[in-house]
Amino acid sequence: MALFAFFQTILLLVSLSLRTCQSEVLSEPLPLTPESLDVSINSAQRCLHLQWRVHSLAYHQELKMVFQIEISRINTSNVIWVDYYSTTVKWNQVLHWSWESELPLECATHFVRIRSRVDDARVPEPRFWSNWSSWKEVNEQNSLGHKASSVFPVDKLVEEGSNVTICYISRSHQNNVSCYLDGVRMHVEQLDPNVSAFHVNNVAFVRETGTNIFCEMDPKDDAGTVLFVSKVLEEPKDFSCETQDFKTLHCTWDPGSDTSLVRKQPYQSYTLFESFSGEKRLCEHKNWCDWQIAQDSQEMYNFTLVAENYLRKRSVNILFNLTHRVRPMTPKVFFKNISATNATMTWRVHSTGNHRTLLCQIELHGEGKVIQQHNASIKVNGEYLLSELEPDTQYMARVHCGDANHFWKWSEWSGENFTTLEAAPSEAPDVWRDVKSELGNRTVTLFWKPLSKSHANGKIRFYNVIVENLDKPSELEPVPIPAPANHTKLALDQCSYRIHVTANNSVGTSPASVIVISGDPGNQVEEERVNVTADGFSLSWKPQSGDVTGYVVEWCDRPQDGSCDLQWENLGPNTTSTVISSDAFRPGVRYNFRIYGISTKRIAYLLEQKTGYSQELAPLVNPQVVMSNLTSHSFTLSWKDYPTETQRSFIRGYHVYLKPKEGQCHPGFEKAALSDNSVCCKYKIDKPEQKTFVVENLQPESIYEFFVTPFTSVGEGPLDAFTKVTTPDEHSHLLIRIILPTVFCVVLIMIVCYLNSQWMKEKCYPDIPDPYKSSVLSLIKSKENPHLTIMSVKDCIPDAIEVINKPEGSKIQFSGTRNSLTETEITKPAYLYLLPAEKNYSGPGPCICFENFTYNQAASNSGSCGHVPVPPTAPSQRGLLTSLENLLKALEKNYMNSQGEIPAGETTLNYVSQLASPMSGDKDSLPTDPPVPALCSEYKMQMAIPLGLASPPLSENSSVSSVTLLDQGDHHH
Amino acid sequence: MKVLAAGVVPLLLVLHWKHGAGSPLPITPDNATCATRHPCHSNLMDQIRNQLVQLNSSANALFILYYTAQGEPFPSNLDKLCRPDVTDFPPFHANGKEKARLVELYRIIAYLGASLGNITRDQKVLNPNALSLHSKLNATSDTMRGLLSNVLCHLCSKYHVANVDVAYGPDTSNKDVFQKKKLGCQLLGKYKQVIAVVAQAFQTGDLEAYSDPRS
Repeated sequence: MALFAFFQTILLLVSLSLRTCQSEVLSEPLPLTPESLDVSINSAQRCLHLQWRVHSLAYHQELKMVFQIEISRINTSNVIWVDYYSTTVKWNQVLHWSWESELPLECATHFVRIRSRVDDARVPEPRFWSNWSSWKEVNEQNSLGHKASSVFPVDKLVEEGSNVTICYISRSHQNNVSCYLDGVRMHVEQLDPNVSAFHVNNVAFVRETGTNIFCEMDPKDDAGTVLFVSKVLEEPKDFSCETQDFKTLHCTWDPGSDTSLVRKQPYQSYTLFESFSGEKRLCEHKNWCDWQIAQDSQEMYNFTLVAENYLRKRSVNILFNLTHRVRPMTPKVFFKNISATNATMTWRVHSTGNHRTLLCQIELHGEGKVIQQHNASIKVNGEYLLSELEPDTQYMARVHCGDANHFWKWSEWSGENFTTLEAAPSEAPDVWRDVKSELGNRTVTLFWKPLSKSHANGKIRFYNVIVENLDKPSELEPVPIPAPANHTKLALDQCSYRIHVTANNSVGTSPASVIVISGDPGNQVEEERVNVTADGFSLSWKPQSGDVTGYVVEWCDRPQDGSCDLQWENLGPNTTSTVISSDAFRPGVRYNFRIYGISTKRIAYLLEQKTGYSQELAPLVNPQVVMSNLTSHSFTLSWKDYPTETQRSFIRGYHVYLKPKEGQCHPGFEKAALSDNSVCCKYKIDKPEQKTFVVENLQPESIYEFFVTPFTSVGEGPLDAFTKVTTPDEHSHLLIRIILPTVFCVVLIMIVCYLNSQWMKEKCYPDIPDPYKSSVLSLIKSKENPHLTIMSVKDCIPDAIEVINKPEGSKIQFSGTRNSLTETEITKPAYLYLLPAEKNYSGPGPCICFENFTYNQAASNSGSCGHVPVPPTAPSQRGLLTSLENLLKALEKNYMNSQGEIPAGETTLNYVSQLASPMSGDKDSLPTDPPVPALCSEYKMQMAIPLGLASPPLSENSSVSSVTLLDQGDHHH
Repeated sequence: MKVLAAGVVPLLLVLHWKHGAGSPLPITPDNATCATRHPCHSNLMDQIRNQLVQLNSSANALFILYYTAQGEPFPSNLDKLCRPDVTDFPPFHANGKEKARLVELYRIIAYLGASLGNITRDQKVLNPNALSLHSKLNATSDTMRGLLSNVLCHLCSKYHVANVDVAYGPDTSNKDVFQKKKLGCQLLGKYKQVIAVVAQAFQTGDLEAYSDPRS
């Protein structure tokens, strides 16, 4: 021990002596220059790594030193970085220092030098810098290879928001360099003749396939690169772990942005590290990871979740007790004992370990809303009675549970749908009726509204209608009407009836709705107008005293198309007003509302009737106007009423427009401008019931134009065409007073003449006398052959008649004929020759026919009934009668003879004149004068009777045909 | 066996080329015998002509689809980034004889087929979501493969040409991303340009061939 103390003392003395010596040495500049400087490049990291030694240090000597490092770019004089590095240097120690360049190292040559200075307190001041090391050149430009130009960095991965410097290097000297980042031109700075660079601050993420960078210059050269910009890796959010079965911890988090880039950077990785156990697990999923719980009943866990990509790491940490992170498993739900109003819900939660107490929440949903909410505390199995349910209703009940002692999270909801059973309908259907009387019978249409779901308590299958005759009690038989019908028709007589209507579902029957159809046809009430508000039709009525149990307001939703769509609203007995609104109401449609009171006997009686429009519209049509009583100073306009259904609003009156002859309006008219900007006179009729109007104070022989249109509260009818009317002359009515009676008289005379035409005929142109009625026949019959008969036409053989013309200029003068005839010159007188057509005629006797010479050509020509002389056909037969004169004589003689005795066997002709006197039938009044040919007399058949074939004289009453037989071919009239 | 090694194997290599095969295939000895696995179809020239028409009709759409998928600045700098400067592209003489034109066509289609393979591979990496581009590239490669087979069959059956030495474009697998995009765009621009000339040449050249098939 003494020896050890001795050596220690010796060592201290030596040390002090050395120290003293050293102090003397350090008082001068020490040659501690950095040596063996070596610079390496990490192009990807844009880093320069420096390493050097300080050889001058003594063995085991430690000295605190500071190093100054200078970095130049392109040339040594261009110092871009000066830094100081302090450290304790040991003997033979290799020192390291790194520098990161913002410019890619490929872009320019860098130079590095270093010097040092002792910075140790043991060394007294002043302390001097060593000499600089020599410049160390660092050049990565050979990375250009054999390319003409390049852009650096190549395919660089950077983080969004970082700053990046891009350079463009070329072998040739650069001139007018342009660089583009994703098509956007950047500001380029030329570093040296071959290098340009630009800075991008706060670089943005463009697309996961990278951002294209492109540089070009003159002369033609270009290069490019792709910059891969990654989104910033975010710290995982909402990191938590929980267990459902104490076997596995399920940890979840929100990963935030996806930082992956195509083939450049994969999706960020997540690693779970638990500090108590020291275990680590690389998670396969981006937002969750399962951790197996150890069997050693570890309660506390301290998890660190590390997110990592190529550019950075982010981590979050949680510390928890396992029993405080229990989330029960999803319960399994069942229902039992489902009735119309109740259901029992049961559920079971699978083990969460050690039969922990669970708090469960039950929710009952109906029609998408939560209608009941309950809590229950259970161990494993739960049960809850859901009550106050509606019949025939679908519900959804669900439950979730959480740990009752250390609540962490609810389990997932677990629910099921169930439907309650049906029950009998709880309310009578709302019934109304429509009664139509026709020919003593009534057609009653019963309407009812479908029961609401809450009252139907199930699907309504049918409605029962029972009709009870109150006047003649009879057996009641329900008439089922299948749902979903909402009306039925009943044919009833004039008796009173009580009608019961019930709704039925599969379980039972609803209370009955009763309505009484009275035999009394009811009263008529006057129609009133109804007020319209923004909410609808505002109806009010007088309260009824006594036995009113309620009111019903009835209307048609669609009166305009005839379907009516009857609607009604029940109101309480104390209600005397209501507002009726409907989506079916349309503007311009008149709606009629009838308000009924309902008596205690359920009889409805009409109280009031109201009508109105939800919105009045201007009329679309004008009345059809008829103009009458046109005089020279006035005319009357009249029109008919519209059908009420077509009116689009209440008509308040009419406007009569009149375009006057001159600019002045008549009294009562006022000037008005029409919609076509024309000006005319308007007369306002305030009474809608007035349908006539007399336009007065007009001028004769003037043109007026009128037009009538109704007006309402919202305007008048459309502007139609004006009707023109011309007032007549002032004296024209006088002419009418004269002409009309004159015409009347003429017509009267004509009627009288027509009625007395028979008399006129007899007076003016009597009928040819009937030979059978001739007195000649009676004389013949009585004196000679009693068997004498009248010759039949068919028995007569006609002979040709030859008419021989008389020389022109001769005149035929008939004595006793009218002047017109006697003075008429016959230019071609005709002679008749009787030519036997058949020589061997075996008839009863020769029959000679000849023309009636009472007619001549002059007479024919002078009258409308012309008689054309027959041309001569057999001139050889002349001699029988040579002239008309002779013939007339013969006729005259014969006629005269006929008045007396006719000698038998006389071969003269018997001629019976066809121009018999009107009194021919009367032999006492036979004319003594020869018959006067009548002008325009009708030709009458005549007959010649040879006396040799004496026929019995014609009796007075015999029927004789007067026949003239002529050659058919030459027969003319 | 020597025949098989000298003639069929290179043919199989040509027909089943792989992406990036860089060097020309060995030249068939002059005395090699032509042999095809299956008899050639009778109307091979019609098929070749139709395949060329088909390629020509789809070339521009493929080009547009390609440069659009690369993003800016490609669509707006087609003259710089997609100019058809492909130095080692096989030549084609439209006025040559049919045999010579077929041989040149074979070289061109072999070159294009290999380059399209490279482009397809690169684009599946660089633009994995550009499915329509991938589909178009695949369809074009398929047609080229058929065309290559038909041309060789025709050369073999009609002109007894068993083998054609071919050259391929540069392998882009070790290029940077921008270079891959640019080379692909240049190649497709060149393809669009060349296929139009070739298709036109065979449309008009066929008429000459019909008049003098052995010329």
